[in-house]
Amino acid sequence: MGEIVKATNTTGTTPDAAAGVTGRAASGGAPVSLENVGKSFGTVRALRGLSLEIAPGELVALLGPSGCGKTTALRILAGFETADSGTVTVDGQDIAPVPPAKRDMGMVFQSYSLFPNMSALENVGFGLRMRKIGTADRRRRAHEQLELVGLAAQASQFPHQLSGGQQQRVALARALAIEPRVLLLDEPLSALDAKVRLQLREQIRSLQQRLGITTLFVTHDQEEALSMADRVGVMKDGTLEQIASPSELYTRPATAFVAEFVGTMNRIPGELTGGGQVSALGTVTDVQSGCADVPPGAVDVLVRPEGLRIAAVASGNGIVSHRTFLGSVTRVSVLLSGDVTVQVDLPSATAAPLAPGASVQVSLDGSPVQVTGRSRQPAAGPEPAA
Amino acid sequence: MATVISQELADEAAAARVPHRRRPVPVWRWVILLLTGVYFLIPLYAALRFAGIASFDDVVHQTGFSDALILSLKLALMTTVITLALMVPTTIYVHLRLPRLRRLLESITILPIVIPPVVLIVGVLEVSPGYLKSTPYLLGLVYVILAMPFAYRSLDAGLRSLELRTLVDAASSLGAGWPTTLWRVILPNLRTALLSATVLTVALVLGEFTMASLDLYQTFPVWIVAFDQTSGPVSTAASLLSLFVTWVFLMLIVTLASRRSRRTGTGQVELFSVRRTVR
Repeated sequence: MGEIVKATNTTGTTPDAAAGVTGRAASGGAPVSLENVGKSFGTVRALRGLSLEIAPGELVALLGPSGCGKTTALRILAGFETADSGTVTVDGQDIAPVPPAKRDMGMVFQSYSLFPNMSALENVGFGLRMRKIGTADRRRRAHEQLELVGLAAQASQFPHQLSGGQQQRVALARALAIEPRVLLLDEPLSALDAKVRLQLREQIRSLQQRLGITTLFVTHDQEEALSMADRVGVMKDGTLEQIASPSELYTRPATAFVAEFVGTMNRIPGELTGGGQVSALGTVTDVQSGCADVPPGAVDVLVRPEGLRIAAVASGNGIVSHRTFLGSVTRVSVLLSGDVTVQVDLPSATAAPLAPGASVQVSLDGSPVQVTGRSRQPAAGPEPAA
Repeated sequence: MATVISQELADEAAAARVPHRRRPVPVWRWVILLLTGVYFLIPLYAALRFAGIASFDDVVHQTGFSDALILSLKLALMTTVITLALMVPTTIYVHLRLPRLRRLLESITILPIVIPPVVLIVGVLEVSPGYLKSTPYLLGLVYVILAMPFAYRSLDAGLRSLELRTLVDAASSLGAGWPTTLWRVILPNLRTALLSATVLTVALVLGEFTMASLDLYQTFPVWIVAFDQTSGPVSTAASLLSLFVTWVFLMLIVTLASRRSRRTGTGQVELFSVRRTVR
C-alpha cells in the first residue's frame, strides 16, 4: 500500500507525475476512526452506532442498499452533517468542531460537481487558491494534476465541453490537488456509462495506491466495491453488518444479509442437525462456523452458484429453466421441486447439454455452507429428492 | 493496454465535442411569430406616425423631462439593489436549507400580482412612517414588493438549474468559506438569473404608473401621462422613446449574458427562466 509502482499505468500517465504533484507520494494518508456514530433525521435513524477504522493509505468501501446510511457516514466524515452521538477522529484528533472547509479532505461527488463558470484548470486550482497558493505555482500544480488524470489537453475547456467521464476525472484531480489527508468518494462512478466507469475505476484505484491516500468510497455497486477496495464494509439499516477483505466477504459472509447482498446466493431448504451438519439436495455437509445461533431444524442453506454441482440425468431433482452465457462461465437456472429456483455456474464448455427443459440433478459440492433461519415455507410436498 | 485506453479517452473526448444538430423550425412557428409581430408593431407604427419624427427632438427639451427620467432611473437602481440584496440570500437559503418552503415562498411572492396596486399603495401609505412618506424613495420600497414575483422566479429558475447543494459542498470541501462560495461559485453561475431579475425589475420600475401617480411623485411614466394633456404628439414620442430605451437596455443585457453563457455553458438567458446546457 502506498508504494510507488514504477510502471506505466492503464491511463498512460506516469507515476512520477503523481510523486511530483504532491511531493509526498507513498507517505501514507491519515488514519480515520468512526466510533459508535449515531445520526437521525427526524424519526429516521440513519446511523445506529457505526464504528469503522480506516488504516493510513487504505481504501475502504461502504457498500449497501439505498438508505442504509453509507452516504450519511461519509458526509459526517466530510463535515457536511453532524453526528448526534459518537466520535470521529482523523490522525487521532476529534474533528467534530472542525468545519468542512478546514478538514483537509478531498471529495468527489456523485453528480458532476465542477464549477460551471470555471475552466478545468481553474476548477483544479480552486482548492489551491483557497490555500493562498500564488498564481504561477497554482497553475503549474493544477496542470500537473490534470496531466495525472490524462486531461492536460482539456485544461482550458469548461465543464459543459467535457464528457461525464472527463468531468469526474477533473473532479478527482481537483480533490487530489489540495493534497488531502483523506479522500472521500461519494458514488463517483454511478452517473457514468459502463465503459467509462470501468476505466475510471482503474484510474482512481491506481492513483489512490500510488499517492497512498486514506480513502472512503461509498457505493451501492458491489462490483465496484469488491474490485477497488482493500476492505469492504456492508451496511444495513445504519449499522455495519461486516467489514472484511473482498475475498473474505464473498467466501465467509458474516450474516445472511451480507451473503445475499454480495454476489449471487442461492437459498435452498435444508435440515440442520445438532452435530453442525446440514442436509440439503440429498447431500450432507458441514456448516460454516459463525452459524451457531441457528437452532436445529428446518433452515435455509446459503450456497453460491459455484458451490453447486449439476449433472444432466434422466429423472433428476430439477429442470433447467434457462441459462445465461457470461463468457467463460454459463449460469444455469434450475427449478427444483418445491418451487425453489437455484442458479448454478459452470464452465461454458460443459453447459451445452443443459438446455432449457433438460432434467438435471443438483447437489452441494460438499464444502462447508452457511445456514440461516427458514425464510419461507416450502411448498407442500417432500424435500427435493436426492 | 495503455494505447487502448488512450484511444478510449480520445473517443470520449471526440464524443464530447460533437456539436448538436439543429432541428428545422416548423413553418407554423414562423406564422405565429409573424402574427405576433404584426400585433405588436402596428400600434407602434401608428404611434410613430401620430408623433412625427420632429416630436422626438422636442421631448428632451420639455419641462420636467430630465427630472422625471432621473427619478425613474434612481428608483430603478434603488429597487434593483434592494431586491437583489433581499432576494438572492433568501432564495439561496431556502434552496439549501428549507427546500420544503419553496412552495410557500412562491405563493407569498405572487401576492403583489394578486393584490391590486391601489390597495397596495393605500396600505403602504397607511403604515409607512412619516419621514418616508415625504420622500419618493418610499416608492422604491413599494417597487421592491412589486418586483418580488419576477425577481424570485428568475432566481429560483437559476438556482434550480444548478446542482446547488453539490457545488456548495464541493467548494466547502476545497476550503472555501461562505463568502467565497457565494462570490466565486454561486453568484457567477447565477449571472444569467441575476441579469434576468435586474432586467425585469428595471423594466417594471421604468413603466410603473399607478403607484407613482397615487403617491404623487412624477416619475417618467407619470410625466408622460401628465404631459399628454399639453402635447399629444410629444407625449407619444416620449412613450416610444421610453419603450425603445428600455428595449435596447434589455437586448444589451440579454446579448451580453448570452455571449458569456455560450462560452461557459452557464445557461442561456430567457427572461423568465434559465436554460442550462446539460450533458
